[in-house]
Amino acid sequence: MTRTDNSSGKSRIAEEAAYWFARLQGEAATGDDWLAFERWLQSSPAHVRAYDQLEALWIDLEFAPVAKDLGGLPLVTARRALPHRVSPRGHAPEVMRRRAWLGAGAAIAASLAVAVGVGVWSPGVATQTFQTTPGQTRDITLADGTHIRLNAASKITVALGRDARRVQMADAEAVFDVAHDAGRPFLIGVGDRQVRVVGTEFNLRHRADLVDLTVRRGIVEVRPANAPQAAPTRVSVGQELTHFAGQVGSVLKISDPDRAFAWTNGQLIYRDTPLSDVAADLSRRFATQIRTADARTGALRFSGVLVTDNQPDVLRRLAAYAPVRVEHTGSAIVLHHR
Amino acid sequence: MADDGRASLIALYLARRPDLVRFFTVRLRSAAAAEDLVQDIYVRLSGLDPSIEIQNPMAYLYRLGSNLMLDRLRGQRRTAHRDGAWLDSQTTRVGPHEVSAEPSAEAAVAARQRLALLAEALKDLSPQTQRVFRMHKFEGLSHPEVAAAVGISRSAVEKHMMAALKHLLAKLP
Repeated sequence: MTRTDNSSGKSRIAEEAAYWFARLQGEAATGDDWLAFERWLQSSPAHVRAYDQLEALWIDLEFAPVAKDLGGLPLVTARRALPHRVSPRGHAPEVMRRRAWLGAGAAIAASLAVAVGVGVWSPGVATQTFQTTPGQTRDITLADGTHIRLNAASKITVALGRDARRVQMADAEAVFDVAHDAGRPFLIGVGDRQVRVVGTEFNLRHRADLVDLTVRRGIVEVRPANAPQAAPTRVSVGQELTHFAGQVGSVLKISDPDRAFAWTNGQLIYRDTPLSDVAADLSRRFATQIRTADARTGALRFSGVLVTDNQPDVLRRLAAYAPVRVEHTGSAIVLHHR
Repeated sequence: MADDGRASLIALYLARRPDLVRFFTVRLRSAAAAEDLVQDIYVRLSGLDPSIEIQNPMAYLYRLGSNLMLDRLRGQRRTAHRDGAWLDSQTTRVGPHEVSAEPSAEAAVAARQRLALLAEALKDLSPQTQRVFRMHKFEGLSHPEVAAAVGISRSAVEKHMMAALKHLLAKLP
């Protein structure tokens, strides 16, 4: 085989891999397409390798922020139809979404306009408070179609006004799937930050002094609650913002949304997390409080996925993966370093 | 059936489970890993809205599994650089504390070169292909949504995506 033959063979395989990837990402793909794709993969190990390379490239692109500026158009809030998440509610017909796209420039401009500070509640707007106890989660659908999944031991207050939709988040964690309404921004007060949304899905966590925001779809803006005109920090798909109350800035990094959203599937995902934080999460998840015996135990680092089906099993798994012993006292459960 | 799309998906899953395991064994080069992944498909299915409606249920099962694979790959790409090289190059402090985190390891340099290469390669594409690619990849629009937004057919979206991917693949060493 000559050199030319090799490179044209490689190019042909790349073309075929690209064909399959694009084809199978489209909603039009059928079961037969997948079977044909399987035959293609099986016909040569080089095909499998090329497809692996393509997938690695697909993921790595997410780490290249510069690529997001492609084409020079503003980013828009987008509905994502990944098969592994529940489809958005059916009331956003294609025409509406198209208009939403065409009006995106205007929507973004509007979202940069002055926001009224959190805590200024319009008179006459009814507020509703939603609260969960430890061990309880709650699905809430607001009148505007926004869906909120409230994690355990959480409390939020909602007021849907004519000019803005407002949520005040106390000690709480929730996934928000916000209905698109460019004329009525969705504003969330969380500690000393304000989160501003046009229409998107994200997990927002406010525990102690820490605010943590992970976006799965669309763009969310965060600014100091007492400085509504401050330039916002924009958090987009696959990014996570963390902010400690009282600090001036925030930290923005690439993050896997599935980690933040895991609680909605009955899982908690940790990477190098202090055991004291794990215990605090589990205390919210179950009725019986769980704490670490001392600072040494609390400082143990835990990495792994905990399926939070029931407390005895979770504790058994925790004790298997971390060097701890579980003690049941009358009112609480205590973890000891062993 | 319209009222219980999830139940029929799960029935299909159970009937075609061996096909899924065979397919993901090819993709993952491991029967055990494929078993795990196919089990995860079930977990995802059971978390779906019971009334979900799916156009191509079999394709949906394959795609769901493939997306789980991509999610894992995403996790691995990060974990592989747990010592900070890769991740730090992506971490910026916003607000007045402007800190540009400098990765130290050689891996970070290679990673950055790869990202730069990809970013450059994207610029070679025609404006329309760039636009389609950006909307689908970075803004999360589905193919039909991109088609509607740009005013082209779904198969044209596929062709733009294919051209972009082929070009990117060719540019990598």
